[in-house]
Amino acid sequence: MSLELGSDRAELERMAAAVEEFAEQQGWPDGVVFKVNLVLEELVINVMTHGGQQGHAEIDVTVTSSDDLISIAISDNGVAFDPLTDAPEPETTGSIEDRHVGGLGVHLVRTMMDDVNYRREPGRNHLTMTTPKS
Amino acid sequence: MELTSDNTGGAVIVKAVGRVDGANARDFHEGLEASIGADGESMVLDFEGLSYISSAGLRVVLLVAKTLQQKNAKLAVCSLSDSIREVFEISGFDKIVPVYADTGEAVSGLGL
Repeated sequence: MSLELGSDRAELERMAAAVEEFAEQQGWPDGVVFKVNLVLEELVINVMTHGGQQGHAEIDVTVTSSDDLISIAISDNGVAFDPLTDAPEPETTGSIEDRHVGGLGVHLVRTMMDDVNYRREPGRNHLTMTTPKS
Repeated sequence: MELTSDNTGGAVIVKAVGRVDGANARDFHEGLEASIGADGESMVLDFEGLSYISSAGLRVVLLVAKTLQQKNAKLAVCSLSDSIREVFEISGFDKIVPVYADTGEAVSGLGL
C-alpha cells in the first residue's frame, strides 16, 4: 500500500480508509489494524503540524505485509526531525494537574513499534519501522 | 464519531461511538465540554462503541479531566477495547483516570 499525502488533515480519513482496505486484504487482526492506523496518524500529523512546509507537505507512506511482519516507511519534506532523539519523553506518571497536554504521539510510536530507524537525506526525513503481524 | 449524554444517574454518562482522530478531535472536545454538568457532577466516558482513539483524542480526555477537577468533579472511563486500554496504559492515563468494566461499575466506583 502506497499513498502520497499533502498538508490537509482531511487526508487522515483517506489514509485510514486505505489502511482498512489493505488490512482486510492481508487478513490482519483487529489489534494490528488499530496499531498501524494509530502509528501512521501520529507520525503524519506530526509532519503536518511541525514540518514547517506551510501547506506544501509531501508525505509518502508505504506499508508492506509479509507472512509474519508489517513494515512501514514514511518520508516527508519537512524540517529534520528524528522521533527517536528529537522528542522529549512525555510525563506519564504525574497527577492530572501536572500532566502536560501533548507529546504522547511519538511516545506511542516508540513504544508500540519495533526496529524504528531514522535517516535524513537532503531535504527529506525517512523513517522505517516494523511490527509483528499477529 | 457520535456522542450522546445522559445525566439521570448522578453522573453525566457520555457514550462515544466511532473514531476519534486528529480530524475530529475538536468536535470531540466541544461535545464533551458541552456535556459537563454542574460543579461536583462527575463524568463517565463510555467507550464501548469507540473503535479508535489517537493521541489527539487522549489530549481531549486530559483537558476534560483537568476541567472537571477544577469543578471538584471526577472523570472515569469504561468499556475500553483491548487496543484502547493499551493506549491508555502506555500514555499513563490509567493512573489519572480510573478505568472500569462498564458504566455500572464506573458509577459505583465514583461513589455515586
